[in-house]
Amino acid sequence: MARDTYVFLGFLLLFAVVNIGLVVSGLLSADWTGLGVITGAGMTLALYSFLYKDNPLFKFAEHVFVGVASAYIFGQYWYPTIYGELIAEWTELEAGETANWWLLAPTALGLLMLTRFSLRFAWLSRYSFAFFVGLGAGLTIPRYISSFILAQIEPTLRPLSLSWDGFNLLVILVGVIGVLVYFFFSVEHTGVAGRVSKVGIWFLMVSFGASFGYTVMARISLLIGRVTFLLEDWLHLM
Amino acid sequence: MIQKLLDIDRRIIFVLVLVAVATPLLMGTVLPITPTKEVQAAYDEIEKRAAGDVVLVSFSYGASTVPEMQPMARAILRHAFRRDLKIVAICLWPEATGLAQEVLEDMAAEFELQYGVDYAFMGYKPGNFSVILNMGQDFHSAFPQDHWGTKADELELTRPLRSLKDFDLVFDLAAGDSIEFWWIPYGQEKFGFPFAAGCTAVMAPDLYPFLDSGQLNGLLGGLAGAAEYETLIDHSGTASKGMSAQSFAHLIIVAFVIIGNAAYFISRRTRPEQRS
Repeated sequence: MARDTYVFLGFLLLFAVVNIGLVVSGLLSADWTGLGVITGAGMTLALYSFLYKDNPLFKFAEHVFVGVASAYIFGQYWYPTIYGELIAEWTELEAGETANWWLLAPTALGLLMLTRFSLRFAWLSRYSFAFFVGLGAGLTIPRYISSFILAQIEPTLRPLSLSWDGFNLLVILVGVIGVLVYFFFSVEHTGVAGRVSKVGIWFLMVSFGASFGYTVMARISLLIGRVTFLLEDWLHLM
Repeated sequence: MIQKLLDIDRRIIFVLVLVAVATPLLMGTVLPITPTKEVQAAYDEIEKRAAGDVVLVSFSYGASTVPEMQPMARAILRHAFRRDLKIVAICLWPEATGLAQEVLEDMAAEFELQYGVDYAFMGYKPGNFSVILNMGQDFHSAFPQDHWGTKADELELTRPLRSLKDFDLVFDLAAGDSIEFWWIPYGQEKFGFPFAAGCTAVMAPDLYPFLDSGQLNGLLGGLAGAAEYETLIDHSGTASKGMSAQSFAHLIIVAFVIIGNAAYFISRRTRPEQRS
């Protein structure tokens, strides 16, 4: 057998021994809660085993995660919305209540989307897509202009002052101008334009660095969450 | 030696990061946490509400960001319930329902809250930004019933709420687009309510411009934001515990960035000599 097979079997054996020890010692209860913690610990370790090498345990955990998440999401769509607000609207009418006929329009548009699965009727889905694209563009364009351009210009162009806030405003102003010049390709980036665009590159690099730093922080936070679960809820070492 | 450093097995780095994370957690190391002004501003938004004011909390995150987002949700709700604020919770992500329910039930037990009077959970509604537009026009049309099927008209808390303008504060907890692309353009800008948010660390840098423009009144970014909020409400939770581990892991990463770069530049200098 290859070394990885021994590692794989050794890991499974160690995991079983640890869990038996935890249950026998009473640290983990022999009920559904205990089984949930053991399953969570197993899935966590199986997913992190990818850091060593791709392996069947990782693949198993990955597929279970995708399956469970899909089923959970389907349940969230089905019960409160598709059943609760659509089907029940027609099947569970109380005396004196009338059905909401307006619901037929979005229902029909939604059902037309499903015709994508048929080669013969796929063209019908274009009506739904045309509606959604038109609606989306109509709603998005004015809102985005207002929120992301007009509302953002105002704080950028506030009067400068001899204070830290004033200095911050100056930095933002220089950064905005530098980056805008960098992305202005109708003028060759030489001379003044070249120097200003270089300032823009520096601002972009600092911005990428800040984003990367935050991303590292986020990923480490997720690791901390799982390690805390393993040490506290599973092994009871904390 | 330099080449060995450049060719270091990445699994060694993984093990060192794991040790850096696990050691402070096991030893209970606590480092001081100083709240930033963005987190302080979010705290102040809740602090300046009067008892009985209604806060809409939107949950837009899933299982993959629980370590960052769940401590944040707990800290904000704990603060709100301490101040006797009423909470209406909604989910704009399908995965968020179970997570929101867990936090709300824990808080209800801790503060002995009455469902439908002190808080209400309206569950998940698909539609992203269109749900926000719908809530702005008619809250009961967007959420005609709560998570368990009780009509919004039958709950004391949600009965008088007609639109987003009836909420004294909106707080979005998000791991995706919802703050920047749903709530700000279609909610805050259009209906003009006070708006604060909590997000994953990955998203935080993109949201700072909205603080400057006043479209966002306060912001909690990642586990650090949650830990700062826990400090402000004087309740040390999972985020505060995790911050020491976070700092040690960052030190390891910074050390490897310095070592890697130093080794790279030294190898560049020595390479021509080796060739000659």
